[in-house]
Amino acid sequence: MTKSRSHIWFVSPAVLLMVVILILPVFVAGTFSFTDYNLGSQDFRWIGWKNYESLGKFSSYKKMFTASLTYVVIVVPVSVLLGLGSAMLISSLSFGGEFYKTVFFLPVMATLLAMAYAWEFTLDPVIGVINKFLDDGCSVGWFYKFFTGSWLGINPTESWYGGLCNDRMPNWLGNKKYALGSISFIGIWQAFGFNMVLYLAGLTSVPRELYASAEMDGANSTWEKFKLVTWPMLGPTHVFVVTITSIRSFQVFDTVEALTRGGPSKSTYMMVYAMFEKGVKQNLIGMGSALTIVFLGFVLILTLTQVYFINRKVHYS
Amino acid sequence: MAEIGLRSISKSFGSTEVIKSLDLSVSNGEFITIVGPSGCGKSTLLRIIAGLENQSTGDVEIDGNVVNKTRASERDLAMVFQSYALYPHLTVQQNLMVPLKLRRLSFLERFPIIGWFMPNRSSKLDEIVSKVQAASETLQITHLLDRKPGQLSGGQQQRVAVGRAMVREPVAFLMDEPLSNLDAGLRVHMRAEISELHRDLKTTFIYVTHDQAEALTMSDRMAVMMDGEILQLDTPHEIYNNPSTIRVAEFVGSPKINILKGECDEKGNLNCFGTKITDSIKLAQKGNVSVGIRPEHMQLVSSKDKNVIKGKIVYRENLGSDIFLHLTVNEGEQKIIVRSEPSNVINTAVGDQVMIGWDEQKVMAFDVDGENITMQ
Repeated sequence: MTKSRSHIWFVSPAVLLMVVILILPVFVAGTFSFTDYNLGSQDFRWIGWKNYESLGKFSSYKKMFTASLTYVVIVVPVSVLLGLGSAMLISSLSFGGEFYKTVFFLPVMATLLAMAYAWEFTLDPVIGVINKFLDDGCSVGWFYKFFTGSWLGINPTESWYGGLCNDRMPNWLGNKKYALGSISFIGIWQAFGFNMVLYLAGLTSVPRELYASAEMDGANSTWEKFKLVTWPMLGPTHVFVVTITSIRSFQVFDTVEALTRGGPSKSTYMMVYAMFEKGVKQNLIGMGSALTIVFLGFVLILTLTQVYFINRKVHYS
Repeated sequence: MAEIGLRSISKSFGSTEVIKSLDLSVSNGEFITIVGPSGCGKSTLLRIIAGLENQSTGDVEIDGNVVNKTRASERDLAMVFQSYALYPHLTVQQNLMVPLKLRRLSFLERFPIIGWFMPNRSSKLDEIVSKVQAASETLQITHLLDRKPGQLSGGQQQRVAVGRAMVREPVAFLMDEPLSNLDAGLRVHMRAEISELHRDLKTTFIYVTHDQAEALTMSDRMAVMMDGEILQLDTPHEIYNNPSTIRVAEFVGSPKINILKGECDEKGNLNCFGTKITDSIKLAQKGNVSVGIRPEHMQLVSSKDKNVIKGKIVYRENLGSDIFLHLTVNEGEQKIIVRSEPSNVINTAVGDQVMIGWDEQKVMAFDVDGENITMQ
């Protein structure tokens, strides 16, 4: 019997494309990361682990890891919990759900770069609507009382808001204290609508009878039913949402490039922005490649964790 | 143990009336089955008793107390669902512990992390574990306690679902088609087990099914429900032998009762297409009737010594213990089924012309509205 080789012809286009546009570039980047290659130059030198060593040596790279990890640690839990909360609220609505879905999903559909410019105007220290609003709030009695905490007996001038009223409103993107928080806020604003849609899909797959069964077993509050049914039944969704949000948070670039360019004093110097700055702007292909490989490592860890959890922990059969 | 009463319960979804002013009294320790075709409202009725669904009008009473305003979780009833509704992320033991934990531990004792530091928690948990152990021994599922529901067969899951219902000793069990996801052999076996469980627990059981065999074999009384109404509520024996309407007669019994068009005259003679069926039957009225004869009350006869119907065999269904002969009668106008011992019909074949006799004592007659007008 002759063995057919037609399967090779069927898979070869896909395999070839994958090798050429995905796997090969990774190997190229891996190779370049051990060189001091500059784009356009005729030759390069092998410099071993030097690029990687400088990642641990220079303070700007340490700041890069701090900024990236802080961003992930803020954006992932907040946007995941907001996504879950809004999905549960929307799925409990008898009407109007479609409206809220659309509203919350709009930031996902909009181009982040364009939205970043819109945020730049909103957050502008002088003409921005946020500072205008906060400024006007200083003269509104109840608003001032509420946000200074004077209704709790706190001295209003010692509180954060009270201090701003006496001085001036913050420069959200230009101040080291606020820049990463502002970028994170935009990240959350952009990401949670996507998580909400994933959770809405997850919620529809929770069998209705489990809620009836929980009620019969004595779960008479929403909290008990959430603990007993909703949260565990969303297991696969949690893993997927957390992984995808983490990867997307590591990838943050548009807002940094448009709003802060990594500053002030590298407080928003994220990994992908660093890759872009080193590899493209400063033409240091070797260094950029090393950053890429480290970045890939992070994503790989996240993905492998997801695969492990999906296979072992959250599929209950 | 509890008496359960339904007082003129009705339920509408929008403009569709699913249950129409229904009354039912279930006495203490009784096994009552609600049987009916799909969509007759029987599951909705059970969910109303459970408190999972609100009735549009009427009262639900448990032990004489109206519980319309009482939540499902506080009615102290247990329910076994068709899909079993086990918590897939918990082991069998944890599944069985859920109802006890929710009822015996306080809110703080159940709270994640904080609960571990509550003083009475561990002694209460020990008590719960021993209850679960006892229930699982009764149901012979002790060897499954560490497994997850996904690792169990349908029959084992069914036992766990029953275990979760009985572990907290509810006042009544509600069962919503608990056997319909099992294969045929296991279903017959579980029928016996559930009956046995009822004898042991002596608790009120309300059992909903579309399978009349389950209703006939298990219940003390059965309610035949159609289109949101209970057509007849009686013992299985009475329902089978003395159905109140033609719909009940047609629903209960397998294969289905044979219905022939007939008429009766003043003298009490009942005729179908020119053949006298019986002259000894007492009927409440004269005129056109539907004649009902169950398949096992008809047989093939050899001679023309008494009243017979001529028929032609169109299909022979061999079940081993019985043979169902499908016949056309009245020149092919009507179909009937005759249930026979295999030895009596061994020489018949499809296409044969045969004579059919019947047991005159068992003939039933229904008027044009479908009411049973046979007088005993």
